[in-house]
Amino acid sequence: MIADFIRILRAADIQVSPAEAIDAAAVIEEIGIGERRLLKHALGHTLAKTQFEKQSFDECFDIYFKPPEMNLGEATPTSDSGEAPEPDAPSQDSAGDATDDADGEEGEAQEGQPGDQPGAPTGEAKKTSKKSGDPASDETGEGEADTQRASLVDMLTQKDQAALQAAISEAAQKVGLADAKLFTQQGMFSRRIMESMGLAQLDAHIRQLEENGESGKADGLREGRGQLFEAVFDFVERQIAMRTKNAGRLLREDALSRIRLSNLDRSDMKIMRGLIQRLAKRLASRHSRQRKKSRRGMLDIRRTMRRNVAYDGNLFELSWRRTKVERPKLLVLCDVSGSVAAVSQFFLMFLYSLDEVMPKTRSFVFSNRAGEISDMMRDGDMDQVMEQALREFGGGSTDYGMSMMDFAEATLDTIDHRTTVMILGDARSNYGDPGHLVLKEMHERARRVIWLNPEGESSWGTGDSEMKRLGAYCTHKQVCNSVKHVERVLDDLLRLST
Amino acid sequence: MTEMKNQAQDAIEAILAGYEKLGYISDEQIATALFLAQKLEKPLLVEGPPGVGKTELAKATAEYLGLDMIRLQCYEGLDESKALYEWQYGKQLLYTQVLKEKLGDLMQGTNSLDESMAKLNNFEDVFFSEQFLQTRPLLQALQNEDGAVLLIDEIDKSDDEFEAFLLEILSDYQISIPELGTVKAKKPPLVFLTSNNTREIGDALKRRCLHLYIPFPDAARENTILQARVPELNQQLRDNIVNFVQAVRQMDLKKPPAVSETIDWARTVVLLNMSVLDAEFIRNTLNVLLKFRSDIENVEGEIARLMRETQLTPDTPIQ
Repeated sequence: MIADFIRILRAADIQVSPAEAIDAAAVIEEIGIGERRLLKHALGHTLAKTQFEKQSFDECFDIYFKPPEMNLGEATPTSDSGEAPEPDAPSQDSAGDATDDADGEEGEAQEGQPGDQPGAPTGEAKKTSKKSGDPASDETGEGEADTQRASLVDMLTQKDQAALQAAISEAAQKVGLADAKLFTQQGMFSRRIMESMGLAQLDAHIRQLEENGESGKADGLREGRGQLFEAVFDFVERQIAMRTKNAGRLLREDALSRIRLSNLDRSDMKIMRGLIQRLAKRLASRHSRQRKKSRRGMLDIRRTMRRNVAYDGNLFELSWRRTKVERPKLLVLCDVSGSVAAVSQFFLMFLYSLDEVMPKTRSFVFSNRAGEISDMMRDGDMDQVMEQALREFGGGSTDYGMSMMDFAEATLDTIDHRTTVMILGDARSNYGDPGHLVLKEMHERARRVIWLNPEGESSWGTGDSEMKRLGAYCTHKQVCNSVKHVERVLDDLLRLST
Repeated sequence: MTEMKNQAQDAIEAILAGYEKLGYISDEQIATALFLAQKLEKPLLVEGPPGVGKTELAKATAEYLGLDMIRLQCYEGLDESKALYEWQYGKQLLYTQVLKEKLGDLMQGTNSLDESMAKLNNFEDVFFSEQFLQTRPLLQALQNEDGAVLLIDEIDKSDDEFEAFLLEILSDYQISIPELGTVKAKKPPLVFLTSNNTREIGDALKRRCLHLYIPFPDAARENTILQARVPELNQQLRDNIVNFVQAVRQMDLKKPPAVSETIDWARTVVLLNMSVLDAEFIRNTLNVLLKFRSDIENVEGEIARLMRETQLTPDTPIQ
């Protein structure tokens, strides 16, 4: 059980290591499982290690350890059914499927998704289920089904909630609900749980009662049966929802990190931003660690000797030669016209999430003229910054020559052997001056010049693309059009600079 | 099973009561965490905003359990020579000098260099022995006979390297001193780590710890805390103070007032012999509650509203 719960926590984005799982087991041993609240606190301390994780942990715990609900014979028998989208469907489906099952092939029943025969009258389906089903379905779980037959009827007549809930949980485990991955499996699992609980026997019992003329009792049971269906369906729905909640998001994030940024949908922006923040954090922590390493150095013998003259030449105080920490000085020039804008935006966003490890960054954007946006970036919301930048510097047709001149004018004096110049653009200059002479000058001064091009390498140099000419003055040229690319580029940059 | 459950529950309730006697008002979460930390012999990582009583928890625990508390304050650049042990260089130096003088006596009767080397080898190596070992908090905590409460305060201020270095201590309660070998704890100390979250703690460290998050207390709990800490305060004023602070906390501030600030404020009220909270007093003492100029300005403008909301009548008109 605990293993299953941990699987759910992992699905909900909580990192649980095997060691922590063992701890959890030890905790249960200490605390026992009797006291729900205590168990929740205790497991929370053991498994969820951040505030955020704690929140999702509480949610998961509440859902997972919430017993299947039902209201038997209470005044409002349908109050719960609002949660289940189609309260009638499962009973029909499962009855219909029960006939399939009765025919022998269980595998077939699994594949044939339920839900296609809403027209089948419930009564008829049930009849067939009973007639041909009885002998066949008894084969499936003979021994237990036998004992359960009586008990399911009993439980329903006695309205024994606790026993029914336990039975549902048990049946769920037996049919492997834990492996459910998709919402479409909901009907199938509900039906299987019911069957495992002894549905066929229950139906038989009801029919028997009817034939004996005890229609009052039969109706009562039938009503209970309906409620049981609802409860099971609802239970299955919740369980599946819990298991699949995050799987979809993870899948989506993975896909988003590979997608071409220019093809990005607006609705994905939010997920994207979170994704970038996380990647940036990872990158930052990796590289800040590397920087720390450089604080250790070799023994500086000369200084050590000098320092220890006072101790009669005994070397007690050691002095270390320090490796100088070199932070990258970065100049970025981004094209914000048309198709390149999307990539630029994310590139800049990423860059500024890295503020911690790359504090000396100046960025410029251009389409026909270039202008600095470093200050805006530092304290602005990304959307606003992009909008403002586009208003101020965008608009005209791309002019590389002019923009390069602007860029050089503002920065050329500060470029030295520690500076990395990064230019992000498609190098399409509308047959105008590509500014390669300015770039040449920068190349001579800077440590390196990196050109990131969102276009594929095959289209470099076609049409008005000046990539070939400009590329001559670049230390690196790289294709860059997805978050994965951006991450790799920045990673390389940081690695080179330390 | 039920018996076990009861035991656990009893123990937790006992812890709660014990804390309360010492004037530390905790809740079930905290007590459960402490209970587990004791039972599983695992360190407890306590997180939460500054001033909610993380350090206080460790102190109260030490008092409750009747153990020594050993505190290690973390800061950037903290290394093992300050946290664990150091050799007493001065003493060692003296020792060598003494040795130099005695060397002649010792070497009497030896004729060759080989012989004197052999003789020298027979002496035990005292140079790196416990005699010259200066113990620091971590080692002290391990060597304490009855166990101890070890508080590693503000672990987020230390470097990554130090965090990695802690791993051995925290998981096995032992440390390796290259010259001496491994020192194992006689009785595992109860370890508290506190963090203000200025830096993300490494996963490896987190995995070895139980995690406890202490948020700002709700009104009822804060009230009890005040009662325990500032007993001179009457009921009416206490309610007023708590309500006001809780309302201030709802505002968008750089640093919302924590429990410790509430206590300070309550003490101020007692010290100045105030019988009612009026606007004038609040304005004059906001600097006890808030620690940023901009925050104080923010709240100053809202005093009237806050007082109305907390059902205080502004006695003096607000300009």
